[in-house]
Amino acid sequence: MTAPAIAAAAKAEERETATLGMWVFLATEVLFFGVLFFGYIATRLRYPEAFALASRHTDLTLGTINTGVLLTSSLAMALAVRSVALRAVRVGAWLLIATVALGVTFLVLKSVEYVHDYREQLVPWLNFTFSHAERAGAQLFFYLYFVMTGAHEVHLIVGIGLVTVMLTRIWRRRIEAASVAPLEVTALYWHLVDIIWIFLYPLLYLVSRT
Amino acid sequence: MTPASLRTYIGTWIALMVLLALTLGSSFVPLHGFNTTVNVAIALVKATLVAVVFMRLRTSSALVRLAALAGVMWLLILIGLSFTDLLIRY
Repeated sequence: MTAPAIAAAAKAEERETATLGMWVFLATEVLFFGVLFFGYIATRLRYPEAFALASRHTDLTLGTINTGVLLTSSLAMALAVRSVALRAVRVGAWLLIATVALGVTFLVLKSVEYVHDYREQLVPWLNFTFSHAERAGAQLFFYLYFVMTGAHEVHLIVGIGLVTVMLTRIWRRRIEAASVAPLEVTALYWHLVDIIWIFLYPLLYLVSRT
Repeated sequence: MTPASLRTYIGTWIALMVLLALTLGSSFVPLHGFNTTVNVAIALVKATLVAVVFMRLRTSSALVRLAALAGVMWLLILIGLSFTDLLIRY
């Protein structure tokens, strides 16, 4: 093999190793959220009526808009990786900025939603009031709602941080088509955070809307 | 390894948005207790689309696919075993 061929093979192996490592880490993340999802299933089986009632108190409009925002952020992220891999680094940088902007939009809307939840007295640790026989189960629903969405937001904040680091690296010209592995790995993490929300949305907002 | 075409990515995003509209719309139609089943099924399709296209499992090596599958497998084992405990207790 010639020297450039050896260098190219090394780069390909680096990409493969980084991708594999990230997927192994993502598997642990799936298990972390899996525990919360199982807690949700077990509690919902015990209090089906309370979950139906409580779920109607979540903000469906903001929840749905946020789902669209996050799905769109994943498109921007995927296109950013594609652009950088195809040597359109400048386009890639703008797409990463769009990804961060959409991630921040999600957080802002979620915060607005939390304020609504607080005003409606739905926060178990602060002011939970639910004048109904199903109070106990409804409170458990909102415990799960805040813990699950809270854990998701922490992950999203980390994702926004990572994408910002990638942007500074592009700025310093340390990422280009030949060394796209860190960006690809960051994208995998971002998409997983999106997938977790894909499951949170129907389980928290759409339990009983008929 | 060439990345997927622009059309594939945009098409996937359109499919995700249609599925979002579908899951929202179906929630307002009484399906005799099957609303949750429909919602979870749609979520599974959406998650698969993101994993296969955006996370590039479509073009990944067998080893990477295996690692991705392992996460889901362990989750199913975890939930399956916990369920047996739950069902015996109550």
